[in-house]
Order: sequence, then structure tokens, then C-alpha cells
Amino acid sequence: MSVSARKKQRLSPERELQRTPNNVTPITPFRRAVSAGPTPGSRRTPIVRTPGTVRTPRGGPATRPLPSRRVAPTTPHAIRALRERANAARTPGNNRRRSGRIQRETPRDILRDLSRALARDSRPIEPSPQVLPQRTRHSALDLPDVEDGPHLAAPRLSMPLENMYDDEDSFHSAPPRQSLLPDLPDDVDGETIQSLEFGRRAISEDPRFMFGGRQSERFGDLSELGAVEEEYEIDGTFINRRADGLLDQAIEEALDEDDTTTQIRALAGPRDGRSSDVNLGVFGEGEDDTEDPTFRFLIPERIRAPAREDAGEEEQEAEDDQGSGLQDPPNDMDLATNDQEEEVTAALTQGNPTEDDGMLGWESDAPVDDDAELAAYREEESAMDRSLHTNSPERSFTGQQRGVRKAKEYLVSEHGIGYPSFPAAPVKKLALNFMKSQGSKAQLNKDALAALVNTTNDFFEQIGIDLAAYAQHAGRKMIEESDVIALMKRTRKTTDNSTSFSLAQKMLPRELLQQLRMEPPIKLKGQKRKRLNPIQEEDDDDD
Amino acid sequence: MPPTLYPRTTLKKIIKAHSKRPLSRNVDVLIFLNYALFMQELINEAVIKSKQGGERGVSGKSVKRVSGGVLRKYKG
Repeated sequence: MSVSARKKQRLSPERELQRTPNNVTPITPFRRAVSAGPTPGSRRTPIVRTPGTVRTPRGGPATRPLPSRRVAPTTPHAIRALRERANAARTPGNNRRRSGRIQRETPRDILRDLSRALARDSRPIEPSPQVLPQRTRHSALDLPDVEDGPHLAAPRLSMPLENMYDDEDSFHSAPPRQSLLPDLPDDVDGETIQSLEFGRRAISEDPRFMFGGRQSERFGDLSELGAVEEEYEIDGTFINRRADGLLDQAIEEALDEDDTTTQIRALAGPRDGRSSDVNLGVFGEGEDDTEDPTFRFLIPERIRAPAREDAGEEEQEAEDDQGSGLQDPPNDMDLATNDQEEEVTAALTQGNPTEDDGMLGWESDAPVDDDAELAAYREEESAMDRSLHTNSPERSFTGQQRGVRKAKEYLVSEHGIGYPSFPAAPVKKLALNFMKSQGSKAQLNKDALAALVNTTNDFFEQIGIDLAAYAQHAGRKMIEESDVIALMKRTRKTTDNSTSFSLAQKMLPRELLQQLRMEPPIKLKGQKRKRLNPIQEEDDDDD
Repeated sequence: MPPTLYPRTTLKKIIKAHSKRPLSRNVDVLIFLNYALFMQELINEAVIKSKQGGERGVSGKSVKRVSGGVLRKYKG
């Protein structure tokens, strides 16, 4: 019985294995295609449960196709992981994990398997050179061959020089000009001017010629041409010409811009308001009798100021020579510019009254026109002056002074230790308080306050040195209250009937007084008492 | 009155720089007391001086003139 029972027991699992369709694990391939459908075993996973588990799953194994059924997870991570796994199992293409025990197959896997199977037999294809498939590969390329036709003419890489400027349709309306001024009059010293180049534009794009030009740039030309009788139209900062008759002439002049026009334009340059034009030293150009080439370049204002007067006069003469008789507008224009420059230079060079006087006289000598245009123009100039004055060096100088004062605030003691200046605000407050209590007007001007701050710094220096000496004398490193009290006593600030406390009560606010009283521990109070008592005793003795 | 009548740290820094010694805790209050006395005297003298000179208000010049004498008075 026992043996047979054992045999039965031994045999029975094998029989069951054969009987049950669930245990076909050897049959199921290790890799199964998705399309093959679920394996019978994967659907109904055998429930692995330890016998000790009390909890039973809520639903049967058929209701919930969870792959693993364990104890319900308690930690949030486990819960989440389980949920994710369940979701992944529910998703249709559940090839979530490749590294899992059951790897799902994709077409790519199948192909890879195929390639592995075929890899032993197959050999790499060596492409034999074939011309034909290349030709017929693309139908779009099957055009009549370009190389079949006759050779095209090679493109010329250079432009035909002869035709370049003759071509009327071309946008090259003018040849490029040299940057050097080509020919100068003999009397002009050409050494420095050769490197001069004024701002240029393509003539076709030049807005000055598109809109008839800015009249102020061309007064020199006009005076030369005798076009002074023209009427002007003041439009904001621009003075436009009303009659446009001279436009062609102006364009012509601009096209073959000879030296005189450049010079005169340069003379009119400062009206642009561009200081660079002024600084180019254009006055040298217009003069007939210049021998000083230094005029053409940046000259410090102080040096230039006296010479500028002569230059102005010479310029005027030059214009007189050049132009026709009646030249009031251009002359006055020049006058105005000179005025402007004079004002600027006067602002730059302070304290030259004689020069200013000379300038004034010169101005009064000149003919003064009361034209409305001129007045307007002069106003304009004055506006320009204002803008120039903002940049005048005086202000920057004051700014520098301020900066110096700021930098001065950090002082260095004789020990080489830097220290800040005592701030002015508490000094002022204290001083005003004292002045008020004294009965005088509580007013302090700036330099008085500065003097007070200076004196304050001196005082602290002095008291610091003194206290250091006192502390050293006492054999201490640290400066203590007793040192200050000794100092006050020595300077007769604390006398018989005024202690430091009474003084502090008088002078100091309550917070500081409290700190003074609270802070020093018993020891210091004792010191003070000691110090005070002998004095009183002495007084008593004296009495 | 502001919470602090004077910048304590600045004053401590100044005194330390001049004496090259550490300060005990509340010396600066006493020093400031001394300074207040000094300032009072200075202002008094300056006002007197400016009145003698017939100035309106106190000028920097009168302060400067007076300051030397007052400083000497406070020299320990």
C-alpha cells in the first residue's frame, strides 16, 4: 500500500502534466509573434501563492488578467509600478520591455532572425560596374545631352572697359572718383589736403540732389553763381530754395565736383552742425594766402581761438574776392557761423575778455541785416549753441571736481589704515541743533558744513591719537571708557560739578545714555565712583 | 530723533584707524559725547566769530578760523 501509494504519488504529477493542456511550456516558442495570439499559458497564469497569505485576491484569476498576483502593494512606488505594469499589459502593442522574459516579436525581429539564419550562406554583393542603369535611373535626366552640342562661349570674367561708361542704360552713371583731390590750385598747400576725403554717396542716391538740396550747404556756390537774389523758404532747420532753376546747375557741379565747390562746401560745412567738419580745419582751404598748414587739423580750442578771428576775416575777404558784390545773405551766414564758433570758443576759453571784446567789435562792424530769415537762422544757431554748451568743458570740470571730492572721502591715517570720513549729515544735524539752542538762525551753507566736517575729522584724529597714548600709558592694548574719562577730565570737560554722566544726560539722546549706563559693568561704575569720590573728598577738604 | 544719532561703526572705524588699537564696547558713546561737546564749543565760537566779522550766518571761513583753537582745547 505504502509503496503503491508512493508510486502513485510519484506518477501522478507526470500524468497530470501530460493531461493538462496548460503545461505546454516546451511547446511554446521562446519568441512568439504578436500576431500568433495569446498563448494559453500567458492568459491564465498559474497562481503562485504562498500558503501563509491571508489575503485573497478580490476577483478570480479570470476577471483580472494581471500577470502576477501578490500581496496587495502598500508602498506608493509599488502601487504605481503595478499599475503601470497592468496598463502596459492592457495596451495593444505591449512590446514594452525587451529585456523581459517573454520578448515580443516585431517584424524587425523576424527580419533579424532571418538574416542570422541566412548569414552563413550569403555573401556580400559586390556591385559590378554598370553604366546602363545609371543612365536610365532617372527619367528626368534623360534629356538630350548637353555635352553633345557645340561648346558654349566661355564667359568673360572681366568687364569691357571701353563700354563701361558709354553705356547709357547702365547704372554706372559716373566713374569712381579718386579719394585724393586730384588737382589743387597752386597757392593751396596740398601736402596735407591730399589725404582728405569728404563723405560721399552715390550721386543717384544722394538725397540732397533728389530734393533740391539743403540750401545751407550751398551758399558758397550760390554766392559764386550770383544766385543770391533767390528767395528762401525756412522750413524748420532747413532753408529750402523756392525757385528750382538752379537745380541742374547744382547737379552739374556736383557731378564734376571741382575743388572750389568742395572748398566752398567745406566752408559752409559748420552749418551742418557736424563738429567733425569744423574740426577738419576747413578755414585753411578757402584762404588764398594760407601758409599755415596746421590750420587744417584738430587744434586745441584755446590755441585756435585767437587765430580764428583772422581766419574769419580772411575768409570774408576771400568770399568778397570770389563772389559778386551783393552778398549779404552768405556773408551773414558766415557771420552767423562765426558767431557760433566764437561763442563756442569763448565758452571754451574762459577769462579772455579782450578777445571777446575784439570779437564783439568785429561783429558790430559787420553789416547787420534784420531779415526775418536771418533772424530765424540766428535763432537756430543759438539753439545749436545751446546744444554745444551742454558739452562745454566747464560742466565736465565741475563733474571732475565732484568726483575728486567723492574720492577724497576715503582717508588714510598715519598708521596706514584707511578710514571713511565722518558723514556730513550727523555733523549738520548736531551743528544745527546747537545753533538753534544758541538762539541764532539754524543755517549752514555748504562750505561751512564742509569746514565742520573737516574739523570733525581732525578732531577724531586727535582724540584717537590721544586715547591711544592714554591706553598705552595704562599698559593696555584696548581703549576703554576710563581713557576717555581721563581725557575729558584732563581737558576740563568733567569738572567737580559735571560728571560724564551729567554731560551725557545733557547732550546725548536717551538711547545712547542708556547704553552708556547699562553697558559698563559694575567694575567701571566702581571706577567712576572712585574717580568721582576722591574729587569730592578733595573738595570737601578744600572746603 | 533718529534711532541713531551718529554712525557708530564709522566712528569706531575712524578711531581705530587713528589709534591702531581695539576699542572696548561703548567707548564710542563717550567719544561721541566728547565730540558733541567739542561741536558745541566750535559752533559757539564760530557764531561769535561770524558775528564779529559781520557775516550773515556762519561761514566756512569763520569755522576754519575758530577750529584750530577749539581743537587745541580738546587736546589731551
